[in-house]
This record gives sequence, structure tokens and C-alpha cells, in this order.
Amino acid sequence: MAYKFEVEQVDAWFGAKQALKQISMKIKENSITAIIGPSGCGKTTLLRCFNRMHELVPDARVSGRLLFDGQNIYDDDVDPVKIRRRMGMVFQRANPFPMMSIFDNVAVGLKMNGVRNKAKLREAVERSLKRAYLWDEVNDALDKSGVSLSGGQQQRLCIARALAVEPEVILMDEPCSALDPTATAKIEQLIMGLKEQYTVVIVTHNMQQAARVSDYTAFLYLGELVEYAETVPLFENPRMELTEQYITGKFG
Amino acid sequence: MDNYAVRKLKEKIFLSFAWLALLLTAIILVVILGQVVYNGASAINIGFFFERPAPPGEPGGGIGPGIQGTVVLMALASLMGIPLGIIAGIYMAEFSESKLASAIRYFNDVLTEFPSIVIGVFAYTSIVIFMRTFSAIAGAFALAIIMIPIVARTTEESVKLVPASIREAALALGIPRWKTTLRIVLSTARQGTITGIMLSLGRIAGETAPLIVTVGFSFFYFGGFDKPVAALPLYIYTFAISPFESWRSLAWGSALVLVIMVLVVNIVVRTITRQKYR
Amino acid sequence: MVRLMDIGLERLKNMTIDMAKLSENTVSTAIDAYIQSKDVSGEIHKWSEELRILQDEVSELAVEVIARYQPVASDLRFIRSCMEISYGFSRFGRYAYDISQVLGTFGDLSKCDKSLVKKAGEQAKEMIRMSIKSFTGRDAELAKKVRNMDSVVDEIYLQGVENAAKTRQDDFKCSVSALLILRYLERIADHATYIGDSVVYTITGERSPRK
Repeated sequence: MAYKFEVEQVDAWFGAKQALKQISMKIKENSITAIIGPSGCGKTTLLRCFNRMHELVPDARVSGRLLFDGQNIYDDDVDPVKIRRRMGMVFQRANPFPMMSIFDNVAVGLKMNGVRNKAKLREAVERSLKRAYLWDEVNDALDKSGVSLSGGQQQRLCIARALAVEPEVILMDEPCSALDPTATAKIEQLIMGLKEQYTVVIVTHNMQQAARVSDYTAFLYLGELVEYAETVPLFENPRMELTEQYITGKFG
Repeated sequence: MDNYAVRKLKEKIFLSFAWLALLLTAIILVVILGQVVYNGASAINIGFFFERPAPPGEPGGGIGPGIQGTVVLMALASLMGIPLGIIAGIYMAEFSESKLASAIRYFNDVLTEFPSIVIGVFAYTSIVIFMRTFSAIAGAFALAIIMIPIVARTTEESVKLVPASIREAALALGIPRWKTTLRIVLSTARQGTITGIMLSLGRIAGETAPLIVTVGFSFFYFGGFDKPVAALPLYIYTFAISPFESWRSLAWGSALVLVIMVLVVNIVVRTITRQKYR
Repeated sequence: MVRLMDIGLERLKNMTIDMAKLSENTVSTAIDAYIQSKDVSGEIHKWSEELRILQDEVSELAVEVIARYQPVASDLRFIRSCMEISYGFSRFGRYAYDISQVLGTFGDLSKCDKSLVKKAGEQAKEMIRMSIKSFTGRDAELAKKVRNMDSVVDEIYLQGVENAAKTRQDDFKCSVSALLILRYLERIADHATYIGDSVVYTITGERSPRK
């Protein structure tokens, strides 16, 4: 089995504050990996290291090696923009572009990267919306505003937007934290379908969600990777006392 | 119970004051507009828009050159001032922590407060004297300088209002930063930026002092960017204080046309760039 | 920090311990009654019914705790074990009843040699005691010992089978009744082993292969 990511002793800082300490982990291709841990444990920071979004924060920096298909994305000659193009990201709150139609929201990534062909764009928009289970709900309203949709639909629109640029990896940062259970269930179902084509990494503060959707689970605490294992064994029989205490709700 | 009655009374008094203030403001606006329309409308006929002003004392004539000149000056000033203002605004918003940005912000604020005649004199010394003639270009230059800080400030404010999440979404799609800023962020901040542009256009449409020392005065239609050019504010200024009844009538007409022009530009621009969704 | 789930888990534990005491008592009473040739089947029947009802209650409470709190890790393992262990206790009750029935079916057995049953009975009772103690004391080492004791009962049972095969006509009643009881005791010992296994699973998360 090929590894999509090989994280090797990654440290991350915000100014003088160290957010990640010596993280090492390997992520398999076409798998869903959940990152769990209490607030402030560094799980979002770790996710943002995967597509070099962490360094966008002023004074933020990263050290160590993070191999993506065997290539260290933190090498000096790597263009972060090109790396980001190969990974889609979905955020905590749905953030469709407010001045754009549903169609343009999905097509924007391709348009900005130089795709002009109308037929090609239409095809990509339809395919992405279908993959995000949104097509049936919006196919007659593609010229409506993206922000006119419900919260759950907006989040699926954002997933479609990320899928449209044909990424290899989908990074999700607590994608359901602002959604109701029905919308959450839809997104989770969608995530399960994604792993056939993509490698998915999802940060979640909802342990049940991690247990439901992921193949592997990583537990982070105070910037350190405490335990990383297959999901069911981790939830049935964690190896580390800290994991046990966290997932059973004995602290946090 | 007693307390409640007192509070209710207080609220009523305060509300009355608010209403009074609103009424006063509205009355002033209505009186000015009414006066301009009342006096101006009688001066207006078809020829008024195309003819050149008649010589002093002679009845009739129009303000054609003034309308054309004002349009030319506003267009030229916009061409120079709006891009610069927007770029400065974006820079201040996107790099708000940098020293250069604070410096720009400071000078920008100072420039906003500058008396417009001083800006006019600056254009006079740097362009008119150099070219040895009043010119449209000098006038537009002065007006552009007045526009820049207004456009820059409002652009900065509206770009800053764009949530960071929008920026992150674009960057995460692999859109380069400059494209993110120009195509996504600025487009999201469109409404506020346009308001700033309208504000600045309204401001320069009526500017008179800087024009006196830059464009000269002309009874003739536009003859080149390096030639003096007519302008409505100068027509209003010159004709209104003249002893001739026919010219004073032209002044009222010019005032009405200027007000309508600003209104029309406002409506047209807002219609074209209207936010598609809300 | 006391979690809401802890209240449910505590109740689950107490119910299982109640079952432990009752089932231990039921089995000893049945074995002793056989050896002393006393008829206690009415009493044993009542207790074994009680155990069956308790087992249902434990299952229901376990499902309730799962539905309400989505337990994971040691909580989840504990609940699963309680369900398995309570099943074991209810089986103890059932086999005890079967033992008590033997006397009624075969009539007078006072002249029979009961030494094998006595030996196996002592061993089975000890295994029950140890499995219960390992559960209440969360003692994985003790629980593992139960597994090693199982072979003793198995051997006695096999010996009983051999005896029955070689039996003379006039001893027929004695050897068949003894063999039946040995058979029940062998099952009881197996369930005691499973209880020990469940305790080990609760504590370490490791599952032993079933025999």
C-alpha cells in the first residue's frame, strides 16, 4: 500500500509558541484519517501543514519533512501554490464566495487556473456537484447565489468547489461543526464515498464522527501525537492511557 | 411603576429630538434642491445643453462646453485616481501591519484633510507652469489627487471587511495570492469600493477652487488635453457673481445640470456594477 | 470528573455482582444437595429464574448505556463483558437446576460413589469463586488462572465417561447420573473460564480464543 503522506518529525510554531512537536505519521492512499484531540492540541495546525496553509499566518513556521507522494513539500524549490492545487480544503464554516453564483463557486478554481472552455467548465461543475451530492438540489438554480443555500448545502458546495480542481487529497477542518445532525449525516456519507478516489484527512472534535467515518485515527494532545492507529482498535482498546482518558471523556 | 412612566417619557422626548433632527436635515436638503430646480429649470431648453454661453448681456446661450468639459475632467481624473486609490487601499488592507502601510495610511489621512485650493496650487506649480498653459490635464491631475485618499480609504475599509475565510478558501484552491486579492477579495469588497468611488466623484464634480488655478476658463468646446477646458463649477462660479441677468440664469441651469449629472453617474454605475446576489 | 455514564456503569456492575453472588450460591446448593441426597429443585428453579430475569435486565441496561452515551475504550469493553458475564451467570443457574433435577429423575442415589462429582464440584465452585473475584477486583492475573483450572474438570469428566462405558449393569443408575452431573459441571467450568476471559478483555482489551 502506497503512502500519500509521510510526516517526518514536523514541528510547527506560531511565533515563539510551539504548536506541533515532532509529529511523525504515515497516511495511506485512499484512506480516511481522522485527527482528534481537545481544543488547542494542534490538530488544525497539523492539517494546515499538509497543504502549506500554516505559513500564511504571520510569524508561523514549520520545520521537518512532509513527504507528499515521496516529495518533501517543504523543500526550498517547491511552490506552495502548486501544492495547494493538488489538495482540496474544506473549512469549519462553509465559506462560499458571496459574490458568485453556485456555478461560479464551483468553477472558480478552474477559471482562475486558466480554463476558459465553457463546455469543459459545465462538465466539471456538474461532475463535482454530483460527487458532493448537491446536484439534484441545485441543478435548476446554478445561477443563484451560493450563500442563498442552507448551511449544509453551502458546506457541500464548498466540497464541490474543492473537488472541481481534481485534487488528490481532501483536507477537512471540522466540516460539520456548524451543521445539524441531518446535514452532518449527509456530509459523512459523502466523505465515505470520497475515499475511493481521494485520500481524506479530517480534523474533528466529534469523536463519534471520527469513529464513524475514518479508517485511521490520530490523537493529538498538547502538540504531540499521542496515538495513531486503526480507528476501531483505537476506540475499543487504546494503547495509551491519555487516549483512553480523552475518548472516554474523563478529561478535556 | 413610577420609574416606568419616567422612562417612557424620556424615551418619547429623545425620540422627538431625533425626529426633529431628521426633519431639519431633510428640510435643508429639500430647500436647496427646490431652489436649484425652481431657478434652474426655467433656464433649461434643448439649446441650453449644446450652445456655447452667449456674450454678456445677450439672452439665451447654453453651457455645452461646460458639460463636456466636466465630463472630460471627471473621466480623466477617474482614470488616474481610481486605480491608484484602489491599489493603495488594497495595500493598506492586505499589509496593514507593515510600516509602509501605516505611512501610506497617515499621509492618506492628511491628504483627505488638505484644502483643495492647496492641491490646485500644487498642480499649478508642477504642471501649469511647466506647460506654460492652463490645461485639462492639470485640472484632472488636481481632481485625481483629491479622489485618491477617498477611494483608498473606503477600499481599505471594505477589503478589511472581507472575512479571512474567503481569502483562505481561495488560497487553498491554489489561486495565487495576487489573483486572490484582485479577483476574489476585491470582488467581494466591490460594494464598498464602489461607494467610495461614488463619494469621490460627487466630491470632485463640484470642486471649484483647484480648477480655477489649473484649467483656466473657456467658452469653447474641448480642444485637447493640453488646452484650457470649460467646467460646470467654474461656469456656476463665474456666472453667478456676474451682473448680467442672462448669465445668472445660466449659473442656475448649470447647478441643476451638475446635480443631475452626479445623480445619473451614481445610478448608472450602481446599476452596472450592482451586486448580483443578496 | 463524574460522567453521566458512570452512574449507568455503576448500576451495571452492581447488578452483575448481585448475579455473581446468587449464581455462586445456586451452584453450591445444587452440588451439595446431590452429594447429601437432598431435593432442592424447587428452590434452585426459583433462583435460576431470578438469574435469567437479572440477565435480561443487565442486557437492557447495557443497551441503554450504549444508546445514551456511545461508550468507547474501557467503558465499551466493560459493558460488553457485563453482557457476556451475566450470560455466564444465568447459565450457572440453568445447569444448577439441571443438576437438582437429576435427583428427582433417578430417585434414591444415596448408595452411589460420589467422589468424582465431589472432586469436580469443588473445582467448579473454586473456578466460579475465582472468576467472580477477578471481576469484582479487576484482576486479570486471577482471571487467567481460571482458564488453567478448566482442564482438571475436563479430565474428571472424561474419566466419568470412561467409567460409564465400563459400568456393570447394577451400577447403571449411579454412573449415568454421575456422568450427567459431571457433564453439567464441565459446562459450568467452561462458562467460568469465559467469565475469566471477559474479565481479561475488560482490563487488557485482548480476547482469548474460545475452546
